[in-house]
Amino acid sequence: MGSIFKKLWTLGPAAFVFKAIIAAIVADGLLLAFIFVRRTYRRRFFARRDARVFELRQQWDALITGKIPYERWRKKTFDRRIVETMALDAFEAAGPEESARLLKFMRTSGLIEKRIFEAQHLKGWRRMRALVALGRTRAPEGVHALAEALRDRNLEIRLAALRGLGRTACPQAAEEILSWVGEAGLTVPALPLQSALIQCCGERPQLLLPYVKQAEGPLREVLGRVLGEVATPALGLELVQFVGDQREELRAAAARAMSQAGAGLAFDALSELAQDTTWFVRLRAIIGMGQLADPRAIPTLLKGLTDSNRLVRLRAAEALVQFRAVMVPIFQQVIQLRDRYGLHAFLTAIENADLRGKLEAQLQNHTGVEEEEKAVLQKVLQTGALPMKDRLSAEEVHDTAGLRP
Amino acid sequence: MIRFLEISNHTLFWYYLASNLAYLAMLIIALRTSAQHQHRLESHRLSWFKDAPMTPPITIIAPAHNEEASIRVAIRNLLELDYPHLEIIVVNDGSEDRTLEELREEFVLRRVRAVYVPVTKSAPVRGLYRSDVDSRLVVIDKKAAGSKADAVNAGLNAATSPYVCIVDADSVLERDALLRIMVPILEDPKRVVAVGGIVRVLNGSEVQGGQLRRVRLPRKSIEAIQVIEYLRAFLIGREAWAQGNMLMIISGAFGLFRTDLVRAVGGYRSNSIGEDLDLVARLHRHLREKKADYEIRFVPDPMCWTEVPSDLRSLGRQRARWQKGLLDVLWPNRDMLFRPRYGRIGCFALPYLWLFELFAPIMETLGIATIILAAFLGVLSKEFFLQFLIFGYAFATVISIGSVLQEEITYKRYNDWKDVVRLVSYCFFEHFPYRQMHMIWRLQGLWQYLRGDHVWKPLKRKGLAAARAH
Repeated sequence: MGSIFKKLWTLGPAAFVFKAIIAAIVADGLLLAFIFVRRTYRRRFFARRDARVFELRQQWDALITGKIPYERWRKKTFDRRIVETMALDAFEAAGPEESARLLKFMRTSGLIEKRIFEAQHLKGWRRMRALVALGRTRAPEGVHALAEALRDRNLEIRLAALRGLGRTACPQAAEEILSWVGEAGLTVPALPLQSALIQCCGERPQLLLPYVKQAEGPLREVLGRVLGEVATPALGLELVQFVGDQREELRAAAARAMSQAGAGLAFDALSELAQDTTWFVRLRAIIGMGQLADPRAIPTLLKGLTDSNRLVRLRAAEALVQFRAVMVPIFQQVIQLRDRYGLHAFLTAIENADLRGKLEAQLQNHTGVEEEEKAVLQKVLQTGALPMKDRLSAEEVHDTAGLRP
Repeated sequence: MIRFLEISNHTLFWYYLASNLAYLAMLIIALRTSAQHQHRLESHRLSWFKDAPMTPPITIIAPAHNEEASIRVAIRNLLELDYPHLEIIVVNDGSEDRTLEELREEFVLRRVRAVYVPVTKSAPVRGLYRSDVDSRLVVIDKKAAGSKADAVNAGLNAATSPYVCIVDADSVLERDALLRIMVPILEDPKRVVAVGGIVRVLNGSEVQGGQLRRVRLPRKSIEAIQVIEYLRAFLIGREAWAQGNMLMIISGAFGLFRTDLVRAVGGYRSNSIGEDLDLVARLHRHLREKKADYEIRFVPDPMCWTEVPSDLRSLGRQRARWQKGLLDVLWPNRDMLFRPRYGRIGCFALPYLWLFELFAPIMETLGIATIILAAFLGVLSKEFFLQFLIFGYAFATVISIGSVLQEEITYKRYNDWKDVVRLVSYCFFEHFPYRQMHMIWRLQGLWQYLRGDHVWKPLKRKGLAAARAH
């Protein structure tokens, strides 16, 4: 049997074209018919739906309080979907009191039960829809069904389950996610996993610790990052052990977490991490130091101004401008660094924080600075350029500053 | 001569058949993908992404050149976008009108020393400003260099977010556009390096205060035909190419990129004519050479609405420029053709662009010339010619109606029955004489490029301010 091309060739263009014309005209007709039939159907469907939504909305209070028996609408798929959609939409915008009322309604009416059943027994898109609905309810009883779906072969289903668990924001969900990643490893993209864990571990961040210690490879990094986001001062001692970790991601996470650990414990660890060879570890450490708001951090932050990475310089500058009581001495030291990138970052931070006027005023009133030097500082503030003098002292400063841009 | 005509006929027949079959395959892929996309949309809610703690910041770069009439509305529209961490950089590209003054008045700009590291090449910057009304807004005032690419590069040098979104200042973005375009990145930030958004035709629609209020089909035929072209190009072409990770164009009107990667390839090529295609081609090259595991995705949800030319002269210029831009990108990248190192880009995407996009106007001209010559020599089979013509017409109509169907079953933005009837009717009427004019414009573009005419001629636009009056 010859190939289709051979057949076409022997058939000859003329014969082929004739058949193709018919096929194309039929296709045109079918497409048009489909468009118009679908439009007509949808118009009627939505008209009917809108009318029903209007009716149900008028009876909303009676519906959710159960004055209208649930059986009246629950057995009709059309009505049930409308009621569920309305309840879920209301739920997302509701305050705590209203949420509780709606959740009670969804429980007693059997809506949650039905979705749990669907999430456990349906497949494909229908399962996914059930998972999303369950996630939207944030009901703790849905956690188990959502967790089961984490083991599905389909990535989309796993992601829907993960997002749903994230929405519940409860420690049970965190336990389920962690036990699943403990078994299966990293089988979903990192970002949704991180987001879900951050949402669920907020209450009990210590849940993460055993998993971070046991995990390996990229999963360890992901969990480390989550730990960095949710860490609390109570975890301080546990976190110190990650400062010397081999994985840079984990060191960065430790730096992030240490800023929550209280100045006493965090200061030394952050000072060490601010000298790290990896830029984003230094970045995290500098941000952490800024959050400590401890004047002892000023020399490290000044050093951060001369970092080879511009993000580190920027964050160091942002942290420095928070020390508003000592803005003039800091400005003097920034100039002494004789690093134009550092100066640029500092002035940017001053301007972004709208503190230029304040710095000028402090300069005017500062008694510890001679008039001549005041003029130099004012000029630097206005022009953004380093003064030409004082080269010797600048070199000295660089020696202590270490890194050059 | 007769022998030559025979060979020519057969070549053109097979060329035409292959081109149509390729489009048919793309239509089928796109229909399938759209159905999946619709289901996927149900699996996540955009508000979940917005609330997620790890949503990365985005810098929007909006180049503006002589946009005094619409700049206030356009930037207000950008500031109202629904996204948690946003920075907006407007690049005043040497405007000769009051663009900068308008910005200054509306957003109370103050001169700052915002971080500007000239990593990518761009014309000198005259000043950087930050808004006192909304600190997310940064304005770069730079000297004109005659290209959008240069202005975007300036924005790129000041961007501080891990992702940059390039938009046209005169386009209208839907409020959730950024959340939607970020979905592929949020799902897989390690692999997805860029995302293209769909661009739809704004003409005829109602815009109020920079926001799209009602989508309508434009009244003028020339604009309505472009609606079909855009639907076909985006909902079929790009959707299908993106499925195979072979997307070669991310529209300059709305695209999202990883900042470090765009910087790594040197930003936009300042003197490029088709800067959007050029950047994506260089990204593919860079990543393929590094053997990176990456994806460039496309999001078909309606997000960005742009004004298209409403007169033949402007449209002709635009299309000629696009064709010039295509050649300007394909020629320097010819070394990627059929090289296994460049994978499917070198083996499928680029050859397709060469064969069915760049050479298309030449082949069409050749086809017409052959028919005329055959008729002149008395060897033209009238029956076959007529059949071929009907086939071409019916088949092209299938593709166009297919794109309207795509719109219908997925996004359905044209709610009015009259609009749909008109849209479908244009699927039948676009083939004559619009298609032939389009061919001539494309040929002009090729000719201009070969002659060395690379000058960018501005198009006539009404602007957002005018759109409000619709």
